[in-house]
Amino acid sequence: MENNEIKYELKEFKLFEPLFKWARKKSLWIVAFCTGCGGIEMPPLATARYDFERFGIMPNPAPRMADLFLITGYVTPKTLKRIIITYEMMQDPKYVLIHGSCPINGGVYWDSYNVVKQLDKYIPVDVAIAGCMPRPESVMEGILTIIRKIEEGTADGWKRYKENYEYYRKNQDELFGEGWREKDAKRWLAWL
Amino acid sequence: MMNMIIQAVLILIYATFMGFIFMGIERKTMARIQRRIGPPLYQPLLDTLKLLGKRESITHGFIYDFGPIFALGASILALMFLPLTQNFQLFSSSGDLIVVAYLLEVPMLGIMLGAMSSGNPYSGVGVQRGLLTMVAMQLPYGLALIALVEHYGTFSLQEIVKAQQIAGWSILVPALLLAMIVFDIVFQALLGLEPFDITTAPAEISMGPMVEYGGKQAALLFTQHAVQLFAETAFFVILFLGGANNLLELLIKQIAVLFIAIFIASIYPRFTIDQAAKFLWKWPTIMGIIAALLAVL
Repeated sequence: MENNEIKYELKEFKLFEPLFKWARKKSLWIVAFCTGCGGIEMPPLATARYDFERFGIMPNPAPRMADLFLITGYVTPKTLKRIIITYEMMQDPKYVLIHGSCPINGGVYWDSYNVVKQLDKYIPVDVAIAGCMPRPESVMEGILTIIRKIEEGTADGWKRYKENYEYYRKNQDELFGEGWREKDAKRWLAWL
Repeated sequence: MMNMIIQAVLILIYATFMGFIFMGIERKTMARIQRRIGPPLYQPLLDTLKLLGKRESITHGFIYDFGPIFALGASILALMFLPLTQNFQLFSSSGDLIVVAYLLEVPMLGIMLGAMSSGNPYSGVGVQRGLLTMVAMQLPYGLALIALVEHYGTFSLQEIVKAQQIAGWSILVPALLLAMIVFDIVFQALLGLEPFDITTAPAEISMGPMVEYGGKQAALLFTQHAVQLFAETAFFVILFLGGANNLLELLIKQIAVLFIAIFIASIYPRFTIDQAAKFLWKWPTIMGIIAALLAVL
Protein backbone atom coordinates (compact mmCIF):
# COMPACT_ATOMS: atom_id res chain seq x y z
CA MET A 1 0.00 0.00 0.00
CA GLU A 2 2.89 2.31 0.83
CA ASN A 3 4.20 2.09 -2.71
CA ASN A 4 0.85 2.62 -4.35
CA GLU A 5 0.13 5.79 -2.43
CA ILE A 6 -0.66 8.57 -4.84
CA LYS A 7 1.36 11.75 -4.45
CA TYR A 8 -0.26 15.04 -5.33
CA GLU A 9 2.45 17.49 -4.30
CA LEU A 10 3.65 19.58 -7.18
CA LYS A 11 7.35 19.17 -7.66
CA GLU A 12 8.23 22.85 -7.84
CA PHE A 13 6.38 23.73 -4.66
CA LYS A 14 7.76 20.96 -2.47
CA LEU A 15 10.11 23.43 -0.76
CA PHE A 16 7.29 25.74 0.27
CA GLU A 17 4.99 22.96 1.41
CA PRO A 18 5.29 23.77 5.17
CA LEU A 19 4.46 27.41 4.42
CA PHE A 20 1.41 26.43 2.39
CA LYS A 21 0.31 24.03 5.11
CA TRP A 22 0.45 26.86 7.63
CA ALA A 23 -1.49 29.17 5.32
CA ARG A 24 -4.07 26.47 4.55
CA LYS A 25 -5.12 25.90 8.11
CA LYS A 26 -5.31 29.63 8.84
CA SER A 27 -7.38 30.60 5.86
CA LEU A 28 -10.36 28.35 5.25
CA TRP A 29 -12.93 29.77 2.90
CA ILE A 30 -16.37 28.30 3.15
CA VAL A 31 -18.41 27.83 0.04
CA ALA A 32 -21.73 29.45 0.77
CA PHE A 33 -23.96 26.52 -0.09
CA CYS A 34 -26.30 25.91 2.80
CA THR A 35 -28.49 22.88 2.41
CA GLY A 36 -31.34 22.18 4.79
CA CYS A 37 -32.01 23.96 8.05
CA GLY A 38 -28.42 24.14 9.32
CA GLY A 39 -27.73 27.26 7.27
CA ILE A 40 -29.38 29.22 10.04
CA GLU A 41 -26.44 28.37 12.32
CA MET A 42 -24.09 30.28 10.05
CA PRO A 43 -25.15 33.90 10.82
CA PRO A 44 -24.33 33.64 14.56
CA LEU A 45 -20.99 32.09 13.63
CA ALA A 46 -20.13 34.88 11.26
CA THR A 47 -21.36 37.79 13.36
CA ALA A 48 -20.15 39.40 16.57
CA ARG A 49 -21.04 36.59 18.96
CA TYR A 50 -18.76 33.84 17.66
CA ASP A 51 -16.93 35.61 14.81
CA PHE A 52 -15.15 32.87 12.88
CA GLU A 53 -13.21 35.45 10.87
CA ARG A 54 -10.79 35.45 13.84
CA PHE A 55 -9.48 32.17 12.45
CA GLY A 56 -9.39 33.45 8.89
CA ILE A 57 -12.60 31.65 7.96
CA MET A 58 -14.63 33.53 5.43
CA PRO A 59 -17.82 32.71 3.58
CA ASN A 60 -16.99 32.83 -0.09
CA PRO A 61 -19.63 32.55 -2.78
CA ALA A 62 -17.43 31.16 -5.55
CA PRO A 63 -16.72 27.42 -5.29
CA ARG A 64 -13.50 27.71 -7.31
CA MET A 65 -11.72 29.58 -4.51
CA ALA A 66 -13.26 27.78 -1.56
CA ASP A 67 -11.59 25.20 0.66
CA LEU A 68 -14.22 24.10 3.10
CA PHE A 69 -17.55 22.68 2.04
CA LEU A 70 -20.15 22.82 4.78
CA ILE A 71 -23.15 20.58 4.28
CA THR A 72 -25.62 21.86 6.78
CA GLY A 73 -28.60 19.58 6.97
CA TYR A 74 -30.48 16.91 5.09
CA VAL A 75 -29.50 16.00 1.57
CA THR A 76 -32.05 15.07 -1.05
CA PRO A 77 -31.07 13.49 -4.38
CA LYS A 78 -31.76 16.84 -6.00
CA THR A 79 -29.34 18.72 -3.73
CA LEU A 80 -26.87 15.85 -3.85
CA LYS A 81 -26.39 16.40 -7.57
CA ARG A 82 -25.54 20.03 -6.89
CA ILE A 83 -23.30 19.05 -3.98
CA ILE A 84 -21.30 16.65 -6.13
CA ILE A 85 -20.92 19.18 -8.95
CA THR A 86 -19.88 21.92 -6.48
CA TYR A 87 -17.47 19.56 -4.75
CA GLU A 88 -15.86 18.65 -8.03
CA MET A 89 -15.60 22.33 -8.96
CA MET A 90 -13.58 23.12 -5.85
CA GLN A 91 -9.84 22.89 -6.24
CA ASP A 92 -7.63 20.56 -4.23
CA PRO A 93 -7.01 20.53 -1.30
CA LYS A 94 -10.62 20.72 -0.21
CA TYR A 95 -12.36 19.69 2.97
CA VAL A 96 -15.90 18.64 3.76
CA LEU A 97 -17.63 19.20 7.07
CA ILE A 98 -21.07 17.72 7.58
CA HIS A 99 -23.29 19.28 10.08
CA GLY A 100 -26.20 17.68 11.92
CA SER A 101 -27.49 14.13 12.06
CA CYS A 102 -29.20 14.10 8.69
CA PRO A 103 -26.14 13.67 6.42
CA ILE A 104 -24.72 11.07 8.85
CA ASN A 105 -27.63 8.64 9.11
CA GLY A 106 -30.77 10.39 7.95
CA GLY A 107 -31.67 11.89 11.33
CA VAL A 108 -35.39 12.52 11.62
CA TYR A 109 -35.74 11.61 7.96
CA TRP A 110 -34.52 8.05 8.61
CA ASP A 111 -37.52 6.52 6.80
CA SER A 112 -38.05 9.16 4.17
CA TYR A 113 -38.12 8.00 0.55
CA ASN A 114 -36.44 11.13 -0.74
CA VAL A 115 -33.50 11.75 1.59
CA VAL A 116 -29.96 10.53 1.09
CA LYS A 117 -29.26 8.81 4.40
CA GLN A 118 -25.51 8.48 4.27
CA LEU A 119 -23.58 11.21 2.57
CA ASP A 120 -20.11 9.69 2.80
CA LYS A 121 -21.07 7.05 0.26
CA TYR A 122 -21.17 9.80 -2.37
CA ILE A 123 -18.45 12.24 -1.39
CA PRO A 124 -15.68 11.85 1.20
CA VAL A 125 -16.27 13.53 4.55
CA ASP A 126 -13.55 14.91 6.81
CA VAL A 127 -15.44 15.88 9.94
CA ALA A 128 -19.00 15.13 10.97
CA ILE A 129 -20.83 16.97 13.73
CA ALA A 130 -23.75 15.08 15.23
CA GLY A 131 -26.79 16.78 16.71
CA CYS A 132 -30.11 18.17 15.64
CA MET A 133 -29.30 21.04 15.37
CA PRO A 134 -25.69 21.34 16.54
CA ARG A 135 -25.21 24.64 18.35
CA PRO A 136 -22.75 27.19 16.95
CA GLU A 137 -20.26 26.13 19.63
CA SER A 138 -20.16 22.60 18.26
CA VAL A 139 -19.84 23.87 14.70
CA MET A 140 -16.92 25.98 15.88
CA GLU A 141 -15.47 22.88 17.53
CA GLY A 142 -15.90 21.00 14.25
CA ILE A 143 -14.09 23.72 12.34
CA LEU A 144 -11.28 23.68 14.90
CA THR A 145 -11.09 19.89 14.47
CA ILE A 146 -10.68 20.43 10.72
CA ILE A 147 -7.91 22.95 11.41
CA ARG A 148 -6.22 20.41 13.68
CA LYS A 149 -6.58 17.69 11.07
CA ILE A 150 -5.07 19.91 8.40
CA GLU A 151 -2.15 20.53 10.71
CA GLU A 152 -1.65 16.80 11.20
CA GLY A 153 -2.22 16.10 7.53
CA THR A 154 -5.11 13.73 8.18
CA ALA A 155 -7.78 15.82 6.44
CA ASP A 156 -7.33 13.83 3.27
CA GLY A 157 -10.87 13.61 1.88
CA TRP A 158 -9.78 15.03 -1.46
CA LYS A 159 -7.10 12.35 -1.75
CA ARG A 160 -9.58 9.63 -0.89
CA TYR A 161 -11.95 10.96 -3.56
CA LYS A 162 -9.25 10.58 -6.19
CA GLU A 163 -8.06 7.19 -4.95
CA ASN A 164 -11.53 5.68 -4.61
CA TYR A 165 -13.17 7.53 -7.45
CA GLU A 166 -14.66 4.31 -8.89
CA TYR A 167 -16.42 3.56 -5.60
CA TYR A 168 -17.94 7.02 -5.27
CA ARG A 169 -18.82 7.11 -8.94
CA LYS A 170 -20.55 3.73 -8.69
CA ASN A 171 -22.68 4.90 -5.75
CA GLN A 172 -23.57 8.14 -7.49
CA ASP A 173 -24.53 6.33 -10.67
CA GLU A 174 -26.63 3.84 -8.72
CA LEU A 175 -28.69 6.67 -7.29
CA PHE A 176 -29.02 8.90 -10.33
CA GLY A 177 -28.58 6.50 -13.21
CA GLU A 178 -25.73 6.43 -15.72
CA GLY A 179 -24.84 9.59 -17.56
CA TRP A 180 -26.52 12.00 -15.12
CA ARG A 181 -23.54 14.31 -15.20
CA GLU A 182 -23.72 14.89 -18.91
CA LYS A 183 -27.49 15.23 -18.84
CA ASP A 184 -28.04 17.44 -15.77
CA ALA A 185 -24.80 19.31 -15.25
CA LYS A 186 -25.01 20.61 -18.82
CA ARG A 187 -28.39 22.04 -17.99
CA TRP A 188 -27.19 24.02 -14.96
CA LEU A 189 -23.74 24.81 -16.18
CA ALA A 190 -24.74 26.11 -19.55
CA TRP A 191 -21.26 27.42 -20.25
CA LEU A 192 -19.61 24.00 -20.16
CA MET B 1 20.20 51.29 -15.21
CA MET B 2 21.05 48.56 -12.67
CA ASN B 3 20.27 50.98 -9.88
CA MET B 4 16.86 51.68 -11.39
CA ILE B 5 15.98 47.99 -11.63
CA ILE B 6 16.94 47.43 -8.00
CA GLN B 7 14.84 50.42 -6.94
CA ALA B 8 11.90 49.18 -8.98
CA VAL B 9 12.07 45.74 -7.37
CA LEU B 10 12.37 47.23 -3.88
CA ILE B 11 9.39 49.52 -4.47
CA LEU B 12 7.39 46.61 -5.81
CA ILE B 13 8.15 44.44 -2.77
CA TYR B 14 7.34 47.27 -0.39
CA ALA B 15 4.13 48.19 -2.22
CA THR B 16 2.90 44.60 -2.42
CA PHE B 17 3.58 43.97 1.24
CA MET B 18 1.99 47.23 2.37
CA GLY B 19 -0.93 46.64 0.00
CA PHE B 20 -1.60 43.32 1.70
CA ILE B 21 -1.40 45.01 5.08
CA PHE B 22 -3.86 47.65 3.81
CA MET B 23 -6.25 44.87 2.81
CA GLY B 24 -5.79 43.47 6.31
CA ILE B 25 -6.51 46.88 7.83
CA GLU B 26 -9.63 47.04 5.69
CA ARG B 27 -10.93 43.71 6.96
CA LYS B 28 -9.91 44.37 10.55
CA THR B 29 -11.55 47.80 10.64
CA MET B 30 -14.74 46.47 9.10
CA ALA B 31 -14.76 43.77 11.77
CA ARG B 32 -14.19 46.26 14.58
CA ILE B 33 -17.02 48.45 13.27
CA GLN B 34 -19.30 45.42 13.36
CA ARG B 35 -18.06 44.69 16.93
CA ARG B 36 -16.16 41.60 15.90
CA ILE B 37 -12.55 40.79 16.68
CA GLY B 38 -11.64 40.29 13.06
CA PRO B 39 -8.76 38.51 11.34
CA PRO B 40 -5.11 39.37 11.97
CA LEU B 41 -3.60 42.11 9.81
CA TYR B 42 -1.57 39.65 7.74
CA GLN B 43 -4.66 37.58 6.82
CA PRO B 44 -4.70 38.59 3.10
CA LEU B 45 -1.09 37.38 2.81
CA LEU B 46 -2.15 34.01 4.21
CA ASP B 47 -5.10 33.86 1.82
CA THR B 48 -2.84 34.54 -1.14
CA LEU B 49 -0.33 31.94 0.02
CA LYS B 50 -3.11 29.42 0.38
CA LEU B 51 -4.42 30.16 -3.09
CA LEU B 52 -0.90 29.76 -4.47
CA GLY B 53 -0.66 26.41 -2.73
CA LYS B 54 -3.71 24.95 -4.47
CA ARG B 55 -2.79 21.74 -6.26
CA GLU B 56 -4.94 22.13 -9.32
CA SER B 57 -5.35 25.03 -11.61
CA ILE B 58 -8.15 25.27 -14.08
CA THR B 59 -7.82 27.24 -17.23
CA HIS B 60 -10.34 28.39 -19.79
CA GLY B 61 -7.83 29.31 -22.44
CA PHE B 62 -5.02 31.75 -22.98
CA ILE B 63 -6.96 34.98 -22.41
CA TYR B 64 -8.26 33.68 -19.09
CA ASP B 65 -4.67 33.33 -17.84
CA PHE B 66 -3.55 36.50 -19.53
CA GLY B 67 -6.22 38.72 -17.90
CA PRO B 68 -4.79 38.73 -14.34
CA ILE B 69 -1.23 39.18 -15.64
CA PHE B 70 -2.36 42.11 -17.78
CA ALA B 71 -4.08 43.65 -14.74
CA LEU B 72 -1.05 43.13 -12.50
CA GLY B 73 1.26 44.60 -15.12
CA ALA B 74 -0.85 47.75 -15.44
CA SER B 75 -0.96 48.18 -11.65
CA ILE B 76 2.81 47.80 -11.36
CA LEU B 77 3.39 50.26 -14.19
CA ALA B 78 1.10 52.82 -12.53
CA LEU B 79 3.06 52.36 -9.31
CA MET B 80 6.35 53.02 -11.09
CA PHE B 81 5.10 56.38 -12.40
CA LEU B 82 4.17 57.70 -8.94
CA PRO B 83 6.49 60.11 -7.14
CA LEU B 84 6.31 58.21 -3.87
CA THR B 85 8.39 60.81 -2.06
CA GLN B 86 9.08 64.38 -3.02
CA ASN B 87 12.40 63.76 -4.75
CA PHE B 88 11.92 60.24 -5.91
CA GLN B 89 10.17 59.15 -9.05
CA LEU B 90 11.26 56.16 -11.06
CA PHE B 91 9.74 56.98 -14.45
CA SER B 92 8.68 60.48 -15.19
CA SER B 93 7.32 62.39 -18.11
CA SER B 94 5.62 65.73 -18.49
CA GLY B 95 2.19 64.07 -18.72
CA ASP B 96 2.41 61.43 -16.03
CA LEU B 97 -0.82 62.48 -14.34
CA ILE B 98 -2.80 61.30 -17.37
CA VAL B 99 -0.72 58.15 -17.63
CA VAL B 100 -1.31 57.19 -14.00
CA ALA B 101 -4.98 58.17 -14.06
CA TYR B 102 -5.61 55.80 -16.95
CA LEU B 103 -3.23 53.06 -15.88
CA LEU B 104 -5.18 52.81 -12.64
CA GLU B 105 -8.28 51.91 -14.66
CA VAL B 106 -6.64 49.42 -16.99
CA PRO B 107 -6.51 46.60 -14.36
CA MET B 108 -10.30 46.49 -14.31
CA LEU B 109 -10.23 45.96 -18.06
CA GLY B 110 -7.72 43.14 -17.63
CA ILE B 111 -9.92 41.38 -15.11
CA MET B 112 -12.92 41.86 -17.40
CA LEU B 113 -10.98 40.38 -20.31
CA GLY B 114 -10.12 37.27 -18.32
CA ALA B 115 -13.55 36.98 -16.78
CA MET B 116 -15.39 37.18 -20.10
CA SER B 117 -13.33 34.38 -21.58
CA SER B 118 -14.41 32.03 -18.79
CA GLY B 119 -17.94 32.15 -20.19
CA ASN B 120 -19.64 32.02 -16.80
CA PRO B 121 -22.93 33.99 -16.83
CA TYR B 122 -22.14 35.51 -13.42
CA SER B 123 -18.85 36.77 -14.82
CA GLY B 124 -20.75 38.19 -17.74
CA VAL B 125 -23.15 40.10 -15.50
CA GLY B 126 -20.25 41.30 -13.33
CA VAL B 127 -18.30 42.51 -16.34
CA GLN B 128 -21.31 44.34 -17.69
CA ARG B 129 -21.78 46.10 -14.35
CA GLY B 130 -18.08 46.85 -14.01
CA LEU B 131 -17.88 48.44 -17.44
CA LEU B 132 -20.99 50.52 -16.78
CA THR B 133 -19.52 51.72 -13.46
CA MET B 134 -16.33 52.62 -15.28
CA VAL B 135 -18.23 54.62 -17.88
CA ALA B 136 -20.25 56.33 -15.14
CA MET B 137 -17.22 57.33 -13.11
CA GLN B 138 -15.18 58.68 -16.03
CA LEU B 139 -16.99 62.01 -16.06
CA PRO B 140 -16.57 63.10 -12.40
CA TYR B 141 -13.08 61.54 -12.35
CA GLY B 142 -12.04 63.57 -15.37
CA LEU B 143 -13.61 66.78 -13.98
CA ALA B 144 -11.77 66.43 -10.65
CA LEU B 145 -8.47 65.98 -12.48
CA ILE B 146 -9.24 68.89 -14.81
CA ALA B 147 -9.82 71.17 -11.80
CA LEU B 148 -6.49 70.08 -10.36
CA VAL B 149 -4.55 70.50 -13.58
CA GLU B 150 -6.18 73.86 -14.25
CA HIS B 151 -5.15 75.09 -10.82
CA TYR B 152 -1.53 73.97 -10.99
CA GLY B 153 -1.06 74.46 -14.72
CA THR B 154 0.90 71.24 -15.14
CA PHE B 155 0.40 67.56 -15.90
CA SER B 156 3.51 66.48 -14.02
CA LEU B 157 2.93 64.77 -10.68
CA GLN B 158 6.34 65.80 -9.40
CA GLU B 159 5.57 69.47 -10.03
CA ILE B 160 2.16 69.15 -8.39
CA VAL B 161 3.85 67.73 -5.28
CA LYS B 162 6.45 70.50 -5.31
CA ALA B 163 3.80 73.21 -5.69
CA GLN B 164 1.95 71.72 -2.72
CA GLN B 165 5.10 71.68 -0.62
CA ILE B 166 5.44 75.42 -1.18
CA ALA B 167 1.83 76.64 -1.14
CA GLY B 168 0.20 74.13 1.17
CA TRP B 169 -1.93 71.07 0.45
CA SER B 170 -4.40 71.09 -2.42
CA ILE B 171 -7.39 70.71 -0.13
CA LEU B 172 -6.75 74.17 1.35
CA VAL B 173 -7.88 75.66 -1.98
CA PRO B 174 -11.73 75.77 -2.10
CA ALA B 175 -11.95 74.59 -5.71
CA LEU B 176 -9.63 71.68 -5.03
CA LEU B 177 -11.44 70.76 -1.82
CA LEU B 178 -14.53 70.30 -3.95
CA ALA B 179 -12.45 68.31 -6.44
CA MET B 180 -11.18 66.16 -3.56
CA ILE B 181 -14.73 65.32 -2.50
CA VAL B 182 -15.55 64.32 -6.07
CA PHE B 183 -12.37 62.28 -6.33
CA ASP B 184 -13.13 60.59 -3.03
CA ILE B 185 -16.53 59.45 -4.30
CA VAL B 186 -14.93 58.13 -7.48
CA PHE B 187 -12.18 56.57 -5.36
CA GLN B 188 -14.80 54.37 -3.73
CA ALA B 189 -15.74 53.06 -7.17
CA LEU B 190 -12.08 52.69 -8.19
CA LEU B 191 -11.38 50.53 -5.15
CA GLY B 192 -14.60 48.57 -5.68
CA LEU B 193 -15.87 49.32 -2.19
CA GLU B 194 -19.43 49.99 -1.10
CA PRO B 195 -21.60 51.73 -2.22
CA PHE B 196 -20.04 50.90 -5.61
CA ASP B 197 -19.17 47.24 -5.09
CA ILE B 198 -21.75 46.29 -7.69
CA THR B 199 -19.10 44.59 -9.81
CA THR B 200 -18.21 41.93 -7.26
CA ALA B 201 -21.47 41.87 -5.32
CA PRO B 202 -20.84 38.67 -3.36
CA ALA B 203 -24.43 38.10 -2.31
CA GLU B 204 -25.99 38.61 -5.73
CA ILE B 205 -23.66 37.42 -8.45
CA SER B 206 -21.13 35.49 -6.33
CA MET B 207 -18.03 37.66 -6.81
CA GLY B 208 -18.91 38.70 -10.36
CA PRO B 209 -15.80 38.56 -12.58
CA MET B 210 -13.88 36.58 -9.97
CA VAL B 211 -16.31 33.66 -9.88
CA GLU B 212 -14.37 31.35 -12.19
CA TYR B 213 -10.96 32.30 -10.82
CA GLY B 214 -9.38 29.97 -8.36
CA GLY B 215 -5.95 28.82 -7.28
CA LYS B 216 -3.03 30.61 -8.83
CA GLN B 217 -4.99 33.03 -10.99
CA ALA B 218 -6.95 34.17 -7.94
CA ALA B 219 -3.68 34.61 -6.03
CA LEU B 220 -2.44 36.80 -8.88
CA LEU B 221 -5.63 38.85 -8.70
CA PHE B 222 -5.14 39.29 -4.95
CA THR B 223 -1.59 40.48 -5.48
CA GLN B 224 -2.86 42.83 -8.17
CA HIS B 225 -5.45 44.20 -5.77
CA ALA B 226 -2.76 44.82 -3.15
CA VAL B 227 -0.54 46.75 -5.56
CA GLN B 228 -3.55 48.60 -6.90
CA LEU B 229 -4.66 49.60 -3.39
CA PHE B 230 -1.19 50.93 -2.60
CA ALA B 231 -0.96 52.82 -5.91
CA GLU B 232 -4.43 54.35 -5.64
CA THR B 233 -4.01 55.57 -2.06
CA ALA B 234 -0.58 56.97 -2.98
CA PHE B 235 -2.12 58.70 -6.01
CA PHE B 236 -4.74 60.32 -3.77
CA VAL B 237 -2.07 61.49 -1.31
CA ILE B 238 0.05 62.92 -4.10
CA LEU B 239 -2.81 64.79 -5.71
CA PHE B 240 -4.58 66.21 -2.68
CA LEU B 241 -2.64 65.68 0.54
CA GLY B 242 0.64 67.27 -0.45
CA GLY B 243 2.70 64.21 -1.32
CA ALA B 244 5.29 63.07 1.19
CA ASN B 245 8.87 63.68 2.20
CA ASN B 246 9.56 60.11 3.21
CA LEU B 247 7.87 56.74 3.09
CA LEU B 248 6.63 56.97 6.68
CA GLU B 249 4.77 60.20 6.00
CA LEU B 250 3.35 58.65 2.85
CA LEU B 251 2.23 55.61 4.83
CA ILE B 252 0.43 57.69 7.46
CA LYS B 253 -1.38 59.72 4.83
CA GLN B 254 -2.26 56.60 2.86
CA ILE B 255 -3.76 54.97 5.92
CA ALA B 256 -5.79 58.13 6.58
CA VAL B 257 -7.16 57.97 3.02
CA LEU B 258 -7.86 54.27 3.44
CA PHE B 259 -9.76 54.85 6.66
CA ILE B 260 -12.07 57.37 4.99
CA ALA B 261 -12.79 54.83 2.26
CA ILE B 262 -13.42 52.06 4.81
CA PHE B 263 -15.72 54.18 6.96
CA ILE B 264 -17.81 55.18 3.95
CA ALA B 265 -17.86 51.57 2.80
CA SER B 266 -19.00 50.20 6.14
CA ILE B 267 -21.85 52.70 6.50
CA TYR B 268 -23.51 52.64 3.09
CA PRO B 269 -25.26 49.71 1.45
CA ARG B 270 -24.79 48.80 -2.17
CA PHE B 271 -26.25 50.78 -5.06
CA THR B 272 -27.92 48.98 -7.91
CA ILE B 273 -26.21 49.66 -11.20
CA ASP B 274 -28.78 52.20 -12.46
CA GLN B 275 -28.69 54.07 -9.14
CA ALA B 276 -24.89 54.15 -9.25
CA ALA B 277 -24.84 55.56 -12.77
CA LYS B 278 -27.53 58.12 -11.95
CA PHE B 279 -25.73 59.14 -8.76
CA LEU B 280 -22.33 59.47 -10.41
CA TRP B 281 -23.71 61.47 -13.31
CA LYS B 282 -25.61 63.78 -10.98
CA TRP B 283 -23.97 64.95 -7.74
CA PRO B 284 -20.24 64.33 -8.28
CA THR B 285 -20.56 65.66 -11.83
CA ILE B 286 -22.25 68.88 -10.68
CA MET B 287 -19.63 69.34 -7.97
CA GLY B 288 -16.88 68.53 -10.46
CA ILE B 289 -18.15 71.15 -12.92
CA ILE B 290 -18.27 73.75 -10.13
CA ALA B 291 -14.75 72.79 -9.04
CA ALA B 292 -13.42 73.04 -12.59
CA LEU B 293 -15.11 76.43 -13.09
CA LEU B 294 -13.76 77.75 -9.77
CA ALA B 295 -10.29 76.59 -10.72
CA VAL B 296 -10.49 78.38 -14.08
CA LEU B 297 -11.77 81.66 -12.61
